[in-house]
Amino acid sequence: MPCEMITLQLGQCGNQSKLLFLMALISLFDFSNSLSVTNPTHLLPLSVGFEFWKRLCAEHGISPEGILEDYATEGTDRKDVFFYQSDDEHYIPRAVLLDLEPRVIHTIMNSPYSKLYNPENIYLSKHGGGAGNNWASGYHQGEKLQEEIFDILDREADGSDSLEGFVLCHSIAGGTGSGMGSFMLESLADRFPKKLIETYSVFPNQDEISDVVVQPYNSLLTLKRLTQCADCVVVLDNTALNRIASDRLHIQNPSFTQINKLVSTIMSVSTTTLRYPSYMNNDLVGLIAPLIPTPRLHFLMTGYTPLTTDQEGASVRKTSVLDVMRRLLQPKNMMVSTALDRNAAHCYISILNIIQGEVDPTQVHKSLQRIRERKLAQFIPWGPASIQVALSRKSPYIQSTHRVSGLMLANHTNISSLFDRALQQYDKLRKREAFLEQFRKEKMFEDNLDELDNSREVVDYLVKEYQAATRSDYLTWSPSKAD
Amino acid sequence: MSEFKLHHLIVELIELLGSSSAPEKHVERLQKEGAITNPLTLNTVATQSCVRQLITNSPNSELFIKKYEELKSKKVDLLGPFMQLLEFISVDRELKKYLAENSSLAQTTSKSTIITNEDLPKIFKNVIKAVVEGEKKLNKQTCPLNRQNDAILTKYTWSTERPRLSWDFQADSTISLAQKVVPSISQESVLLWDILQCLKGIDGFYIVSEISSFYSPVTFKISPDVGISFKQLTQQILPLASYYSTTIRFVEEKVLPDDGQVNHALRGALSSLLRDYLLFIVQLEIEHIRGKLNLQKLWFYIQPTMATMSILNQITSTICKANARGGKVLSLLHEQINHMSSEAKSKELCLFLIKAASIPYMEILEKWVYKGVICDPYHEFFVEDNELIQREELPMDYSADYWEKRYTMRTERIPVFLNEHAQTILRTGKYFNVIRQCGKTVQWGKQEPLVYQHRDQKFIFAIDRAYSEAARTLLEVLIQENDLMGRLRSVKNYFLLAQGDFVVQFMNLCEAELSKNMYDIVTHRLLSLLEVALRLSTADSDSYKDDLKPELLPYDLQYQMFRILSIQTTEEKEYCAHADKVLTGLEAFVFNYDVKWPVSLVINRKAIACYQMLFRHLFYCKHVERLLCRVWISNKIAKTFTHEAAMAYRQAFSLRQRMLDCIQHLEYYMMVEVIEPNWLTFLNKMSKVSNVDDVLSVHHDLQDSYLKECMLTDPELLACITGLCAVCIEFCEFMQHMSRYFIDAELTSMIGTCQDDILEPESECSGNSNIEGSSFEERIGFLDNQFTAVLIRLLNRICDLGCDNSNEKLLNVVCRLDFNLFYTQILVKKDSSKIVKNTSG
Repeated sequence: MPCEMITLQLGQCGNQSKLLFLMALISLFDFSNSLSVTNPTHLLPLSVGFEFWKRLCAEHGISPEGILEDYATEGTDRKDVFFYQSDDEHYIPRAVLLDLEPRVIHTIMNSPYSKLYNPENIYLSKHGGGAGNNWASGYHQGEKLQEEIFDILDREADGSDSLEGFVLCHSIAGGTGSGMGSFMLESLADRFPKKLIETYSVFPNQDEISDVVVQPYNSLLTLKRLTQCADCVVVLDNTALNRIASDRLHIQNPSFTQINKLVSTIMSVSTTTLRYPSYMNNDLVGLIAPLIPTPRLHFLMTGYTPLTTDQEGASVRKTSVLDVMRRLLQPKNMMVSTALDRNAAHCYISILNIIQGEVDPTQVHKSLQRIRERKLAQFIPWGPASIQVALSRKSPYIQSTHRVSGLMLANHTNISSLFDRALQQYDKLRKREAFLEQFRKEKMFEDNLDELDNSREVVDYLVKEYQAATRSDYLTWSPSKAD
Repeated sequence: MSEFKLHHLIVELIELLGSSSAPEKHVERLQKEGAITNPLTLNTVATQSCVRQLITNSPNSELFIKKYEELKSKKVDLLGPFMQLLEFISVDRELKKYLAENSSLAQTTSKSTIITNEDLPKIFKNVIKAVVEGEKKLNKQTCPLNRQNDAILTKYTWSTERPRLSWDFQADSTISLAQKVVPSISQESVLLWDILQCLKGIDGFYIVSEISSFYSPVTFKISPDVGISFKQLTQQILPLASYYSTTIRFVEEKVLPDDGQVNHALRGALSSLLRDYLLFIVQLEIEHIRGKLNLQKLWFYIQPTMATMSILNQITSTICKANARGGKVLSLLHEQINHMSSEAKSKELCLFLIKAASIPYMEILEKWVYKGVICDPYHEFFVEDNELIQREELPMDYSADYWEKRYTMRTERIPVFLNEHAQTILRTGKYFNVIRQCGKTVQWGKQEPLVYQHRDQKFIFAIDRAYSEAARTLLEVLIQENDLMGRLRSVKNYFLLAQGDFVVQFMNLCEAELSKNMYDIVTHRLLSLLEVALRLSTADSDSYKDDLKPELLPYDLQYQMFRILSIQTTEEKEYCAHADKVLTGLEAFVFNYDVKWPVSLVINRKAIACYQMLFRHLFYCKHVERLLCRVWISNKIAKTFTHEAAMAYRQAFSLRQRMLDCIQHLEYYMMVEVIEPNWLTFLNKMSKVSNVDDVLSVHHDLQDSYLKECMLTDPELLACITGLCAVCIEFCEFMQHMSRYFIDAELTSMIGTCQDDILEPESECSGNSNIEGSSFEERIGFLDNQFTAVLIRLLNRICDLGCDNSNEKLLNVVCRLDFNLFYTQILVKKDSSKIVKNTSG
């Protein structure tokens, strides 16, 4: 089948989520004792992957055991983008689970729901010590384990007819997701140069003080790989997610499930045109290529509307296409929190709106015209840019109270402020030479800290390029000239 | 493509006239003048004033009037429009001159000189000849049947071989008036015998018939010896003999197969009436033998018979004059009844005749209306079966023509009383025929026999009922049993690329094969790849997927479209000049779709061709999009370039972005804003249709709006889009060619991180692309300009067309492509630079 995607879930971000999901789902099965879930808000970013699979299963009518539900046997959806069928008609996710510590994966293996995954694809480091929140450790362990990991990946890749790319779920702050994730990014780009690498990267919450003291180092080092090796990075900013949960959804203490729901919605909706084929956008590249005009500017923001929670189902608003498209342009619906930089005239490089529901194309056109007249979105001056719209079907198995819902994937120059912030935090830490001992223990940093400097340079350039993209001379811009 | 029908006719006319003017000009004018008045309304009203006008204009008005009356008495069809045409011509001096000049040419080509011409003034003679060329149909009707042919046919009948067997007068000149003188007292008795003889069609002694011409009524010569009073009375009586003669002649003559069943039936009815008439004469004879008859009495007795016979005479002579047969006979009879509104008795007589005469016609009608079968050995019925090819032999072409050509309506054969219902009748039979051909039998509760009625035509209701039954059944057969909508949906999925994943799958598999030259492509390999693609995508659940076949057409889309528009614009001529280039598989490729009867009625050859054109258009756009995406993928390596290298490529990347943006917007417009909404409207309309003709026209409308709104019907728009695609492909090829140097760029970037002397990647590229005589940057710049120029041409054309209300939708494209006014700014810049140039230069 064309356009298969292999999902890699790295570290807790990818995997623990599954466990938490199971807890949320099955009240009989009490995990809460075996897990020290002391502060749920801190676990939030870690729950992405499993919610995603849960949602995919629900949308395609696949039971948690991987068996097609009776009502879903005649669907015209494409389950094979993310699943494949085993000999006994079970649907198995094209997912690879990697972790350096056993706790989460063990729980998964012991749960009756382990049947969904191919057990061979769940890889657990033998020594099981974790990465200790250390990027270098994660990276180094990834290097050591690469043979075994790529055995799995190669098998998956060979099992698909025309693999389109990889989806990587990870966090950029911790040790496994960032370190091992970075290594995986480098090797994937090296081994599969023609395949797309899309990542869903969880950026740490900046409003709170992190447990992980070396987080700025981890982030920066990962950002370099995201810049150079990934083709498309969907930024999931924990700060914004928490903000949205509390402001938009009016939840005082947002729980992980609610935020995970948000994230999994974004992940599933952004692939909906692949899974429910229609006239256009039937492959990933056709979806992301127009979003990313120049290869380095590939960090995408997302927005979703209407946002509701299960409890809030009573207050259903009227949704129209214009409503949805207008709301998607509001910064408060963005899942990236960016400080508004008044000096630089930040603008959209490109926008893709995936609209689901009963949509009349003339409404779409009218909404676009309205947005154009009112100048609700500022675009780059150096090329044609517009709001692309992809109309998509909804899963028939999930009932939604809203007529229209929309997801925006946007390439906005303002995302550079996020990297700018990461740079500042790094600089603060680096000035004090703080916490560098753990890094020096690893091979990469034994001799010098060039890698850190180099990464800083890459990220710095990235910020500058984003800023340059707001100007009309971007096509002839070069950092050396600018300086 | 109904709007092209007119086009086609005009092109043909121009060809015939040997003119070189551009047809589209005329089409436009005709369409502007619009509402070409309905020929039916035109028929009668204008004629009188036309004739008057013509008479005043004619140099030889008497002859003209005579000819006109003659034609009128023959009940020639379309006489009104013909007169109008003549009037137009007589008014238009230039046309007259032109026709006069051309008449000599026409004479050489058409040997069949027309009888009507000889009497008409010269100008009309020329006109008719010109008309012969253009309007053959009209010609056929104005030209009465050659009498010689008639003579040949009648020669072999008994009436000529054994003339004495006839009950009519003999055209025997040997009989002369008896010169014997009988005393006037005994004259009456002899004269009575003579009259009684004459009334039976036998010449008497004192009264002898004179037959001047074949169809004219018989006149009589009465011996001069007969006394004046007798003579006058005799002359009053004798028209009866002439009526009898006309009638009996009709009865005796109309026995040929060529005359048709209606005439035969009429003849039968007439002869039964004549038997009564002869009985009556015999009774008179008996009376006479008894000596109880005198001329006065005879005159008194024959009064009612006289009236009857005069009607018969009138009827038969009109029919003979018009040389009518079949439906026309019935029309004439029907009109006859309408004319005599007062006399109940004669009306009854006419009704009797028309009822009798209509029996065979009604039987044919019955068979047609109830079974869809034509049983019409003498070609009298107004529906004509043109079955030429067996359905099994050429199923595709057969269905394409079936609906329009298999059964045609001959307007001149329609009986007047069926005029309004002709369309219904035609359809009814057609539907039943299709139903029968689908192997279905129609269950009839009660088949009401169709009988002619003058006042409340009950049989019309029967026909209407049959029609609704037929329409309903056929619609059921098509939509329910043969799943027409499912078929159409499947066609849409494949031809209009609605099944996106299948298209992606198919292109993945076939791209390598299709990028070859079309003559190097192995079709059966394509077929097997297509099957794989069908089975691997969601199209697998479509039960009609096996009907999809690949096909390679040796001409490209633009050419195909030009051919269909049949516009001989200069562009096309230029285009045809280099049309013989060899196409790549991608340009030549289309799907074909096997459709079974009866669905092939709707999805016929023409419809498939239309879908194929749309498919080519969309498919090629999709292909360009994929190429651009592939360039994107191969360019993604540029992430790791140094900033200098990245900068060098940025121009190219931005051009790629613009191309992709443009192509995707075009696709979005065509697929989401044109195809899908039109499809939904179509579904909506389809839920309301009541018969198959509606289905056809609704489907036709759908295709028309597809073609028009997808910018296929405007040659310039199509050329723009083709141009855009061509530039994009050139760019993609160039970039793919260049991509091997990316590695160098990457390497330099690695070096570049430690060293500062970077080898500019374009300096390397320029070394290689020197073959084309330009550097990388120049080349990109060139392509950029080209692309922008074509795109702006496209946008301008769309804006031009968009002013028209019917094309409003097209403006959506401009709105999307120029969302952030990027192209508007380019235009503004260009304009200002032009102004600067103008002022400086």
